[in-house]
Amino acid sequence: MTPIDILISGLESLQEYLSAHVLTCLIPAFFIAGAIAVFVSKQSILKYFGAKTKRYISYSIASVSGAVLAVCSCTVLPLFASIYKRGAGIGPATTFLFSGPAINILAIILTARVLGFDIGIARIIGAVGMSIIIGLLMSSIFRKHDKENQKNNMLALPEDQKSNRPIKVSLLFLILLILILVIGAASTDYIPWIPKLGIVYILTIFVSIILIFYYSRDEIKQWGGETWFLTKKIFPVLLIGVFIVGIIGGIAAFYTPGSDPSNAVGIAVAPYIGGNNILSCFFASIIGAILYMPTLLEVAIVGDLFGYSAGIMSGGPALALLLSGPSLSLPNMIVITRVMGVKKALVYILLVVVVATFIGFIYGLIGG
Amino acid sequence: MKIEVLGPGCAKCKATEKIVKKAVEELGIQAEVVKIEDLQEIIDRGVMMTPAVIVDGEVKIVGHAPTIDEIKKILK
Repeated sequence: MTPIDILISGLESLQEYLSAHVLTCLIPAFFIAGAIAVFVSKQSILKYFGAKTKRYISYSIASVSGAVLAVCSCTVLPLFASIYKRGAGIGPATTFLFSGPAINILAIILTARVLGFDIGIARIIGAVGMSIIIGLLMSSIFRKHDKENQKNNMLALPEDQKSNRPIKVSLLFLILLILILVIGAASTDYIPWIPKLGIVYILTIFVSIILIFYYSRDEIKQWGGETWFLTKKIFPVLLIGVFIVGIIGGIAAFYTPGSDPSNAVGIAVAPYIGGNNILSCFFASIIGAILYMPTLLEVAIVGDLFGYSAGIMSGGPALALLLSGPSLSLPNMIVITRVMGVKKALVYILLVVVVATFIGFIYGLIGG
Repeated sequence: MKIEVLGPGCAKCKATEKIVKKAVEELGIQAEVVKIEDLQEIIDRGVMMTPAVIVDGEVKIVGHAPTIDEIKKILK
């Protein structure tokens, strides 16, 4: 291993993420995330976080609304703090806090594409289920908080922006975008290139027709702006991160005899986080909680660095890391602590680590 | 006129502040633009999603970075 080899291993892992099969899923995914951010009425979701909403409704909405509301992490924290202090209380607030970053649509799509369909699905189900479990536990541990807070729960809900677009059209629009994504990213084993391009082309024309007749110029501009904003913010960081992951692999290969850059770190850490046992899941979950991972990079860290793609890391710890990773990091721990206080924040962090461990372990038993 | 831009300092909130200032300048109106970054204060205004724009105490924009035309329409 020379420095050049190390550089090459960085470039090789970069190449994997710039290849056609990843880009064909990421580019439409950015457009979908942009469309969701601009076109989905956030106000209509926010009203379910009020103090008078029935508990089970708040919990279920909180557990899935991350996909719609939380494309940008800076919107999550004020929203969390508002629900916590003035809205539905600590349970739904922590449910939302966890699920927000965890079921981000970009991350799910990339997980399914790069790491495999099964773990992608497991990630959605795991994140939704886990967010509800954590919310319920938090509210039963800190029941007193909600009682004390019931007096000042007047949340000023913004008025619903009236849109004269029928809901059917909005739904059709999103479905078309998702179809483009699914068909565009489908393996050529299922659909050969030529019909695939044809179908994507026809779908794109349908999308344009809807845009022309039902969306105003300003809205389309906003959609484009939002898509570009997300791409600009996430994609370069992902590429740099992937490159660094490759470099670390290269350096590790230098110190681990008998390995190459694609599996060196995986082999080195396999005794601790590789197996489908409870201890591996626990360590993986702790790593996920502490390590700050920019959006989407957790996929590369699990797949390439720790060797899930190479078959060195099993499904259990991989899922545990994917679950605890995006929702916890040092910067957001600080904000959580400031909003909730040290005690509640510690309990929340502990719950995330423990529940992620168990869900990972169960997944390892079933499918990993 | 008092215009408040609320946001904890993320990219979009900074963009919003810039757009608001530009709109004020282009319209040539007398307005004071204030940035509010403290999370507690943002919540006290009843704002759940940032960036938000408040004009003379009235919440006008919540949860997205406005375009310059949007701001101009509000300020007029």
